[in-house]
Amino acid sequence: MRRAKNLSIGDAPYAFKKRTSASLIWGTAAALLPALGWGIYCFGFTAAIVVAASVGGALVGEACAGALMRRFTLWDGSAFLTGLLVGMAMPPGISPLIPAAASLFAVSVVKGAFGGLGSNWMNPALAGIAFSLVNWPAQMRAWATPHHLAGLAGISGATPLGFARSHAAAAIAGSSNMDILVAGGMRASGIDASVTEALNRGIFSPLGADLPGGYIDLLLGNKAGALGELSAILILAASVILLSRRVIRWEVPASIIGSFALLTWAFGGLSLGNGFFAGDVLFSVLSGSFLLVTFFMAPDPVTSPSSRAGMLIFGAGTGSLVFLLRTFGASAEGSAFAVIMMNCAVPAIARLDTAATRRRAAKASAGTARGGNANGAR
Amino acid sequence: MRPSRTFRHGGIRVEGDFDWEQRGPAQNAFLPNGAVILLKQHSGKQARCVVRRGEYVREGMVIGRADGPFSANVHSSVPGVVRDIRISPLPEGGRAEAVVVALEGAFDRLGRRGERYLWKSMGRNEILSTLRDRGVVDTEAPGLPLFDLLSERQETGILIINAVECEPYLRAEAHLLADKSPELMEGISIIRKILSPKRTVIATTRSEDSSLPPPSDDGPDVELVRLEARYPQDMPRQLLEAVDGSRKFSPDDAVILRPSTVFAAYEAIVLARPMVERYVSVSGGALKRPAVLKVRIGTPIGDLIEECGGFLGPPARLVLGGVLRGHSVHDLDAPITKTTSAVIALDSEEVGSLLRSPCIRCGRCAEVCPERLDPDILFRLVKRGLRLRALELGLGYCTVCGACGYVCPSRVPLVASFAAESHSLGEAPR
Ligand code: SF4
Ligand code: SF4
Repeated sequence: MRRAKNLSIGDAPYAFKKRTSASLIWGTAAALLPALGWGIYCFGFTAAIVVAASVGGALVGEACAGALMRRFTLWDGSAFLTGLLVGMAMPPGISPLIPAAASLFAVSVVKGAFGGLGSNWMNPALAGIAFSLVNWPAQMRAWATPHHLAGLAGISGATPLGFARSHAAAAIAGSSNMDILVAGGMRASGIDASVTEALNRGIFSPLGADLPGGYIDLLLGNKAGALGELSAILILAASVILLSRRVIRWEVPASIIGSFALLTWAFGGLSLGNGFFAGDVLFSVLSGSFLLVTFFMAPDPVTSPSSRAGMLIFGAGTGSLVFLLRTFGASAEGSAFAVIMMNCAVPAIARLDTAATRRRAAKASAGTARGGNANGAR
Repeated sequence: MRPSRTFRHGGIRVEGDFDWEQRGPAQNAFLPNGAVILLKQHSGKQARCVVRRGEYVREGMVIGRADGPFSANVHSSVPGVVRDIRISPLPEGGRAEAVVVALEGAFDRLGRRGERYLWKSMGRNEILSTLRDRGVVDTEAPGLPLFDLLSERQETGILIINAVECEPYLRAEAHLLADKSPELMEGISIIRKILSPKRTVIATTRSEDSSLPPPSDDGPDVELVRLEARYPQDMPRQLLEAVDGSRKFSPDDAVILRPSTVFAAYEAIVLARPMVERYVSVSGGALKRPAVLKVRIGTPIGDLIEECGGFLGPPARLVLGGVLRGHSVHDLDAPITKTTSAVIALDSEEVGSLLRSPCIRCGRCAEVCPERLDPDILFRLVKRGLRLRALELGLGYCTVCGACGYVCPSRVPLVASFAAESHSLGEAPR
């Protein structure tokens, strides 16, 4: 009998789309590197050490969980990505032990204990972040101003988001977030001043609008904040690449941003005494961890619904919760906890989904076309 | 001709080598020195062997007799001596008897240009019994005998000739359509005589086919419909949905046949030839010269691969039928059967990563499922043994098309688990 050697045998299909889960995860991690690079540029070597510690903790956690389950899973990239995301959410000057512990916890307990990738119900990176927020609240809010802004630092020790919130009560009615920051001593960078001026001259003035200073700094990442969350524009660029390559699906981020923007616009002005429909959407979206969480943690397929309707519900819930937590919660930042809460709601959303599927199956059996091999023979 | 149409829900575009083209009509493949003729090439019971070892068989002689309904006659595809009768594995799983015929002697019948039989005077039943005698089966798996497929039907709404090839590597049907269009038109007339359908459609995915000759004198109403090459456009529900957008005909009202089936019917009736030959596309990245060949049933696939220049490098996988619904084999002696449309030798790059990882619930499988199922959920239920829950969620509608398995980035063995379930469903009384 003639046999060809080393043939793989198995069941159909025998062709696959080239993309694998590992390539999806590594691709996501790669897309985050520019934003991380900006953080390291801003805060120097210490930031790099923080991230390295976080990634290291995650890899150790994965290796240990894998050893217990007799599986080698480091190649799938998911531990690396978790470590990276946890590290990027850290304040730059934090002790490396905290991110290392957080990632270790995230990967070994939150993910590993539930059976590894695909079986966890809570996003591990978010769990790690929440873990450190709960255990080391003070260290997790020790913000620093980027090196290259040292001369401008007016509100050092606070992020724009946190500062605006904590000083809102004392502000004169009718002022904006930016007014508060300026009153607090924040100065826009040179780039911000020139870009804002150019935009105003070229685009906004003819339209009768005026862009106040400061937003360009928020967009570019000239501000205090977690080391990977500074630059909104780099995070957005990464998201656009991943969205266009369909690594992230659009439904979850779109509905988070939509619902959050709507609520912010409608009610966000109230705390400043500006009345309804006067919220500063741009400021809220560009600050804090909102974008990183929205594009890189909330859409995690494992911990979000898989149907389109489910994803939209999930996103709307998350966006609303972010708004509520930021407005009424204990701290200025609410994105991480909002997603964790919605992670808990996923099984309920999925039940709605299966009910819909069952109705569809029942309808299909009630007489429409029936699948099968040619001519009804199965 | 209208612009290309397609089905509504799900589906995939299969990446791969769609572009290889063979110029000119298909060549006859070399005759096999030893033809391995399986006695089960149809859906029903294995045919009863009617030859003995050492016996001389002529070409086209019956070597296996149909055994009950859905079984079909099997004929020797070459003249020669029965060298062996052995149990042989079937590509789709299971085993059956095979008659090995060593080529010897002269081609007294099929080599010559035969007379054309004037079938127009034949009655419906006479045509049907001739098709049965000559062992004509549907060339789509599982190979329903044409007699069983057509004889029970009194009234047919729509006859669809399915030349749709929406997977890479598959060329046989489209090639046959281009090579043999007058013969196919006559074959269609024969089938129409049996079924008298209200509408007859040839469905294709290739633009060249628009140059088909107009149908012959018999019926003016054979339409040509061009469909998008989106998988699984060639499956019955999707085909009917695309062809019959107005949903005039129910699935029970439709008969779908491959051009190769129609051609076999033509040869059986007009040339009085049993089903001993078929078009096979031989291709894949591991092969030197892909080609569409006219192949005798029973030819070992190793012979065809040699004829196509052999392997470029070590093949990583050999597939019979198609990369999405076919079967992999490792035996170069595996023979061509009446339902083998393609031999595909994939190289390791085409096979790609087979590394399984856990389901990440990305929802891609549900997005592409043409039957609107949630394969990841079904898989989890089947794996936990909750078959009834899975049936409630529509497992019974899975056509085992393979689309979900194709897109799954974790290579979760979705389709294999559904295939096992659908086999066990098939055994249950319906
Ligand atoms: S495509 Fe694969 S990984 Fe994605 S949900 Fe379906 S089974 Fe899971
Ligand atoms: S194999 Fe079944 S579940 Fe998978 S896509 Fe096809 S019909 Fe849907």
